[in-house]
Amino acid sequence: MSEDVLAPLSGKIVSLSVEPGAAVEEDDEILVIEAMKMETPIFAPCSGIVSKIAVKEGDAVEEDDLLAVIE
Amino acid sequence: MKSYFENMAPFGKALKKGTIKRTQNNYEQVIEAEKQISAAVDEVKNAGLSEEKVNQRGQMTVWQRLEYIVDPGTWTPLHTLFNPADNVEGTTNVIDGLGKIAGKWAVVIGFDNKVMAGAWLPGQSENILRATDLAKRLNIPLVWLVNCSGAKLTEQEKFYANRRGSGTPFFRHAELEQEGIPVLAAIYGTNPAGGGYQSISPTVLFAHEKSNMAVGGAGIVSGMAPRGGFTVDMAEDLVQKAKAHQAKPPGSVATHYDHTGFFRFVYKEEKQVLDGVREYMKKLPAYDPEFFRVTRPKAPAFDAEDVMRLLPMASKTVYDFDDILARLVDGSEHMEYRPGYGPEIYTGLCKVDGFLVACIGNRQGYLGKGYPEYADYPGMGAKLYRQGLLKMNEFVTLCGRDRIPVIWFQDTSGIDVGDVAEKAELLGLGQSLIYSIQQSGLPMMLAILRKGTAAAHYVMGGPQANRNNAFTLGTCATEICVMHGETAAVATYARRLVKEKEAGRDLEPVVEKMNALAQKYKDTSTPLYCAKQGMVDEVVRLADLRHYMQSFAGAAYQNPKSICPQHQMILPRIIRDYAAAKEKE
Repeated sequence: MSEDVLAPLSGKIVSLSVEPGAAVEEDDEILVIEAMKMETPIFAPCSGIVSKIAVKEGDAVEEDDLLAVIE
Repeated sequence: MKSYFENMAPFGKALKKGTIKRTQNNYEQVIEAEKQISAAVDEVKNAGLSEEKVNQRGQMTVWQRLEYIVDPGTWTPLHTLFNPADNVEGTTNVIDGLGKIAGKWAVVIGFDNKVMAGAWLPGQSENILRATDLAKRLNIPLVWLVNCSGAKLTEQEKFYANRRGSGTPFFRHAELEQEGIPVLAAIYGTNPAGGGYQSISPTVLFAHEKSNMAVGGAGIVSGMAPRGGFTVDMAEDLVQKAKAHQAKPPGSVATHYDHTGFFRFVYKEEKQVLDGVREYMKKLPAYDPEFFRVTRPKAPAFDAEDVMRLLPMASKTVYDFDDILARLVDGSEHMEYRPGYGPEIYTGLCKVDGFLVACIGNRQGYLGKGYPEYADYPGMGAKLYRQGLLKMNEFVTLCGRDRIPVIWFQDTSGIDVGDVAEKAELLGLGQSLIYSIQQSGLPMMLAILRKGTAAAHYVMGGPQANRNNAFTLGTCATEICVMHGETAAVATYARRLVKEKEAGRDLEPVVEKMNALAQKYKDTSTPLYCAKQGMVDEVVRLADLRHYMQSFAGAAYQNPKSICPQHQMILPRIIRDYAAAKEKE
């Protein structure tokens, strides 16, 4: 079973906190999106293994873009 | 009204394992920052003579007097770090706060007799006026621990005269009395001149047997006929006169108890003076808390220390305000007013110690598609938009009608700007909120969790609301300034950069000035700076926020000037009906 992590807002990826293959627990920080001068941390919706990180630092993302997948 | 208040809707989430892990660093930063604040407080407490030295003289220190007179667990210090004139003594030389005496809330203020025997210092009258204003706003007694040697004569030009100078508190005492607010004074030591008026201006005077108060003390009697300078012969004469006056200082108990009767009570022991004040407090008017409580007091469902993890020290990081509020109010329960409308602002009814309070705070983060409705750009919390401003206006007005004290939580970057925002009437709605606050006549308190910026700092119950704001708190993350320092540097130097560039000159000197200005903003926005200048009335530990809310609510409900019967309140009904209508949709 996998869960997609989607961008809740448009912005720029300013940091990645995990790498593919990393084990995460629910509510761990995965990455940070900067928009309108504020940094919004994106947290793991569930515990599992990060099977994919779909963005890199500096990328611009739109709302609902895929950010990561947790298996 | 049990069905409204006994079991309100639960809110807030328990910390998850992941949250605890990822907030550990923030938690440690908070501990470190709070240590620095606590060290600054200790410096004020240790100013002047040691406790041991004062005790050897047969006196208690002001801190010992406070500890003795205030009911355990109720002391709520304010203005501890206030020192706007940067006195070398490190203090304005008065210590004040809210505290219960004999079960009743009072504003308690005392001269620090460890420092120049409690002399007047620069900034002190402003501190005292804050305390008298607090008593007026909350309609509770003012209790003085007078021990005032008069003015620090070498700096009199900084505080003696002027509109808000050292004599102004005496007029404030009269004003409080005219409003029906008693001022009780425990009097110790030698209180000449200004100290004499500090002693005589309260309502009831409780004196220690060795105290005195006088229009002028021994120190000035011998110098009252200026002769154009001094000679050694005159100095010899002064020595003799001063000795004589020291032997018999004017205004002793023999004069002011036995003869004039100004001292209502005289006591042999220091503690007995405080016991006398405590007994008298029992005679003063106050509602039993049960009169106003809507339910029994309940602790929050979550640990108050969680706030140290939930409030990010990093000013750009978003967080969940509701989760913080849930750690501060009874049972972590609330009735939210207009959820979904004006999503950047939380407005709701909560309980603190069983008393109904209204809470308003900035929410953080992305506000969702299509908001604000008048613009084509996304909305982010911390900023104020049309709906949020309208919602606050409505809520404050209804609280005024229902007589519910308001607790504000600020973490705001300002009001939305630009022509679109002007067309959306944000300037007018901001001023409308100021009108609504002023019109409400309600006591309010404010906690500036992180940012207090731009006009939003004013309109969200800021300390500028002199008639309403009882006190304003800062935290270790507080930052107060008109705008971010880098924004200010751009606003100040952008045109200059253009001119320099067009003239073919080096931009580096201007860049240096821009960096210097940004740094200045940083240095003058810190919690310690804000406390020293009085932008906040105290910087508190995050875990102590609820204690201040309890003191505020208890004091605000002790003897309010107007009341609204619970069953005649309309706000709880509006909230419930709105929720029911939404559910049907």
